[in-house]
Amino acid sequence: MSAVSPSSLPRPPESVRPLLAALADPASTVAHDELLWDRIIPLARTARLLGVLAHGVYEHVERSALPDRVQRHLDAGLIEARFRRQKTLFLLHTITRSLTGHPGPWVLLKGAAYIAQDLPLSRGRLPTDVDVMVPRASLDGIEQSLKNAGWEFEKNDPYDLHYYRAWSHELPPMIAAGQAMELDLHHTILPPVGRIKPDTPRLFADAVPVDGTPFHVLCPQDQLLHAVVHLVHDSDFIGRLRDLLDIDMLFRAIPLFDGAARWSLVERARHHHMEKPLHLAATLSLGWFGTPGCDDLIAETATARSALYGPRIARMASRVLPPINAREGSTSFVARLLEARSHWLRMPPGLLAYHSTAKGIRTLAKSLSREERPAER
Amino acid sequence: MIARVYGGYVADDPTGMFDVTLDLHRVRGVRGHIRPQCELRCDGVLELEPFPLDTPLPLLEWGTNYAIAKRLFCYLMLHSAVIERGGRAIVMPALPGSGKSTLTAAMTLRGYRLLSDEFGVVRLQDARLLPMLRPVALKNESIDVIQRFEPTAVIGPRFPKTQKGTVAHLAPLAAHVDERHEPANPALVVFPRFDRSVDLELEPVSKSRAFARLAVNSFNYHALGPESFEALGQLVEESSCWQLRYSDLDGAIKALGDLLDQSRPAHDGSRLTLAA
Repeated sequence: MSAVSPSSLPRPPESVRPLLAALADPASTVAHDELLWDRIIPLARTARLLGVLAHGVYEHVERSALPDRVQRHLDAGLIEARFRRQKTLFLLHTITRSLTGHPGPWVLLKGAAYIAQDLPLSRGRLPTDVDVMVPRASLDGIEQSLKNAGWEFEKNDPYDLHYYRAWSHELPPMIAAGQAMELDLHHTILPPVGRIKPDTPRLFADAVPVDGTPFHVLCPQDQLLHAVVHLVHDSDFIGRLRDLLDIDMLFRAIPLFDGAARWSLVERARHHHMEKPLHLAATLSLGWFGTPGCDDLIAETATARSALYGPRIARMASRVLPPINAREGSTSFVARLLEARSHWLRMPPGLLAYHSTAKGIRTLAKSLSREERPAER
Repeated sequence: MIARVYGGYVADDPTGMFDVTLDLHRVRGVRGHIRPQCELRCDGVLELEPFPLDTPLPLLEWGTNYAIAKRLFCYLMLHSAVIERGGRAIVMPALPGSGKSTLTAAMTLRGYRLLSDEFGVVRLQDARLLPMLRPVALKNESIDVIQRFEPTAVIGPRFPKTQKGTVAHLAPLAAHVDERHEPANPALVVFPRFDRSVDLELEPVSKSRAFARLAVNSFNYHALGPESFEALGQLVEESSCWQLRYSDLDGAIKALGDLLDQSRPAHDGSRLTLAA
């Protein structure tokens, strides 16, 4: 049945396995000594998984059974997660006024969506931005209302603004006084010039309202597919372990071992032209987390295999997915290849060449004009 | 260099759980020959801009402060010096030009125990002050002032041309290192200001004002929610709060000693009501 032999599966590097084991089975950490914790906590922090780890551990292990020095770092993770959750909800509360009057649905994406739905994968998250998708026709009006309410673009470089407006699926990140989070306003989930063009009207049509809020979220299958393309299509994998963990948890929620649910997920993926990314995500999730049902999903999407989403990419990705302090050997060459791949997938070659040249010239000009920077403090 | 400014610290067993692991080294590559630099990794991650190669200790000290402020989120971190006598602490918030480090250094050389020059670490459960003992960073003329004030003081090498001017580090005393795990009770909050035009001036500060000034000057008050409100409230409630203007170190030290003797520890332990 299985299309994957265990030997060809991508495997996480040795250095990150204690962290993965602690996330998968938090109860096992009760026996950890400080030495082992010292191999886990710095990696969890760099991967922005300290809050997730803390939630898992405190759910299964009596606090007093943990070394003092471990407790205080886990506490720090919990406190920061609570703060960021609250700031997310505060931001959503604040922008409602600016959205009112502009046709919706206003669809929360990723972290903000998980938090609004109170999904298990929202526990301990440390989001730094809030992603909201609105219909293209409402975008300009909403942008103006937000600006009137004090939001502004963080970057004001004309080329960057042009890049976002012409070729991206979102506006540049917005910031406002008193807000700890950035706001990303989307009109779809992938760059419109990229190689995968999802059925955006369907994303909106099937979005589901979140009880007690004026917001919607994508339907569960689209939430998963968005997480999938966000990692395996629209990113370079570098240090994105937590995005893969999201995918694992969303797979489990489908649930993937249910044949009918899995089949309808594949159908949905085909509809959005996301079968290849789904195949790669299942390969990674199985290799890293042993997600139930992924072997079947890999077999059922096997016809969608291609070099850009194949086992070789999965193995390369596995080398750079860990946080920077857990990567083994020299990964810079693999990282450059994966960066090139993500650019290739994001833009047609002509546009990519134009963009790279423009960006290169600007970077060069900036570095030539940079002033000597004196030491701080 | 590190052994000198870390005074009584002994190199410990390098196994176990650490708050942060720092790695200071020279920047390699072509650029390293044109403009030599040193860089600091915190837990293996490069989080800060490199410094010129001849200022490794300021980078280590500044980087350690940065790493700790980012990591120990579970305590309320005030930007202030903390010293103590008889288990009763003086919290001195840092305002630019306050001369806080100079006064702190001088007091620790006159019998007060140093808890920290940079971080007032407040335990949320009971508002006790925890030590975060490190060298005191002295800047510019303070270096000579302290060396003259106490010729036996151990001060590390001077680093000119940093962003804050010349910096040198005063090593903590061995006795303070031995007590580096002993917390202290809040007793005084003092906002110092070095001012040549006055001899010595002490003015009471209302508790609500002291609360606000401490909160605004904290690294993470805003992120800790109700716990930091409660803990800071308790700290202020148990403390007598003053504004100090001084031009003479000996006079300031005596005045703060008298204040500490006069202020009574809070016995009832009742919670703060923000009047005053």
